[in-house]
Amino acid sequence: MATNPSTYALSQSSDSKQRLQQRRRLFQETEWTRSDGRSFHQCRPAFLRTGAANAASGSAYAEFGATKVIVSVFGPRESKKAMMYSGTGRLNCNVSYTTFSTPVRGQGSDHKEYSSMLHKALDGAIILETFPKTTVDVFALVLESGGGDLPVIVTCASLALADAGIMMYDLVASVSVSCFGRNLVIDPTSEEEACQDGTLMITCMPARNEVTQLMLTGEWTTAKINEAMELCLDACSKLAEIMRSCLKEAASGSS
Amino acid sequence: MTTMLRELRLSLNQTQRVRLQSALQRLQDMASLASAVTVVADTIPVNHEDSILKGHGTSDLNGEVVATLCGVVERVNKLVYVRAQRARYKPEVGDIIVGRVIEIAPKRWRLEINFSQDAVLMLSSMNLPDGIQRRRTAVDELNMRSIFEENDVICAEVRGFQHDGSLHLQARSQKYGKLERGMLLTVPAYLVKRRKQHFHHLENYGVDLILGCNGFIWVGEHVNSNGGNDMMVDQENRGLVNKSEVGQATCEVQEQITPLEIRKHVCRVANSVRLLCALGFSLTVEVIVDTVEASISSNTDIKDILAAEFYVQTAEREVQRRVSLTRRKG
Repeated sequence: MATNPSTYALSQSSDSKQRLQQRRRLFQETEWTRSDGRSFHQCRPAFLRTGAANAASGSAYAEFGATKVIVSVFGPRESKKAMMYSGTGRLNCNVSYTTFSTPVRGQGSDHKEYSSMLHKALDGAIILETFPKTTVDVFALVLESGGGDLPVIVTCASLALADAGIMMYDLVASVSVSCFGRNLVIDPTSEEEACQDGTLMITCMPARNEVTQLMLTGEWTTAKINEAMELCLDACSKLAEIMRSCLKEAASGSS
Repeated sequence: MTTMLRELRLSLNQTQRVRLQSALQRLQDMASLASAVTVVADTIPVNHEDSILKGHGTSDLNGEVVATLCGVVERVNKLVYVRAQRARYKPEVGDIIVGRVIEIAPKRWRLEINFSQDAVLMLSSMNLPDGIQRRRTAVDELNMRSIFEENDVICAEVRGFQHDGSLHLQARSQKYGKLERGMLLTVPAYLVKRRKQHFHHLENYGVDLILGCNGFIWVGEHVNSNGGNDMMVDQENRGLVNKSEVGQATCEVQEQITPLEIRKHVCRVANSVRLLCALGFSLTVEVIVDTVEASISSNTDIKDILAAEFYVQTAEREVQRRVSLTRRKG
């Protein structure tokens, strides 16, 4: 018989937890290089295109680093659920992940809450009064999850809505910031998201200076929140410029 | 040049690419006065001294006119509005539309017509196949499926809006009704302009072309508008055909098979429409016929109409056409 009756092996998860702790300690230090060589206040390069899906009324594809999202918009079309008369249109959002979106197949969470969060982010920007009795369906599909998924989904969805010719007050741009001890890191990757102390996400309409949604998790000081918000809003307005140029290019290219 | 995802997938060689680019550039130069592309929340420059009317796709923000759609700014006298390129069809009374039946409801058919809602065609607002004006009875209501079934493509006219905003159609003429033996093409609605005539019979090809204002385009074998009615009566009576007429009936069935030649013509016209749609040119019967003729005279195969070489040629021909138009004006 073996000298040590190893009924239980040292669990794998505790090993990985240890590694996580180690990495977290690394992130607590003042300076470290990010995995993709960005500085702390530098976003991933944004690649945006409209017209990704032919069958949809409008669609868009967004690629921010490793995060790849495709959004299709259907409608406005007749509401099938509620045949009751309503003066305003309905917005229906759905976010889904492909099975191959995470490094380990089928291991990612469904992010069920993302659908309602996407709805909240877009609700304020769409002029729902312009299509009574009808529904607009927004389907977001995350092809690859590389961190900062929700901001990318929201950005891509507003682009798809604009492509579908749906009346909006403004484009919705979204950026998130992660907090590591004293450091603020914009547009985190999934690796960084796994070790963050807190996160702040803003979706806003830059031309109107209005925020449609703000999400805050973790421990923050007021000064930090202010700093993070400034950072986000600035990034949002720059992202909106990229979105505009994308739409402009699409419009002048097809006419 | 950035390749759009929605366009046709073309493999252009170097010279073709250069030719296409120069053609598109010239088209853009010619149209530069007319089109000013805006994006959501862009300010539309207006002269505030003049009184202006804010139209579709605009809203007011701090005294400025702001776009709420992506598209092209249009100005008609005092009216300023934004015309979206990929928006859904907006019906107007009297429009001729092509639609697909999606549901049979009590006394009405529901049609998909690329509008934000389904259109409604009431049993009472269409001519019955027997052509007699009379009250619609419960029997007629039960026989609705013998007139139009689900997934049938039909042609009708916009009658008007109800109080709740739903859209009603009518088909009170021989020329409206079921469309058979042909193809339905869907294009963006803005490519079809409202004109006097939307029904076209291309006599050289034996093809009917219906340009629906909603962007649904029908290309099918030619049917006599009177003959079409006879056919419907035939369908009604077919159940009653007695045995002595069986021979005649089979003869009729023979006639109903579309000859190969016509099928090819239908495909050729359909591909021409697809090509013009991909290039984003307005679809008028003249341009379509012109493209079809060019494809025949250049011995282009039906499938090659959608290939790179003919694509570039069509763009160049459009440049020529517009140049000659402006010359004639000047």
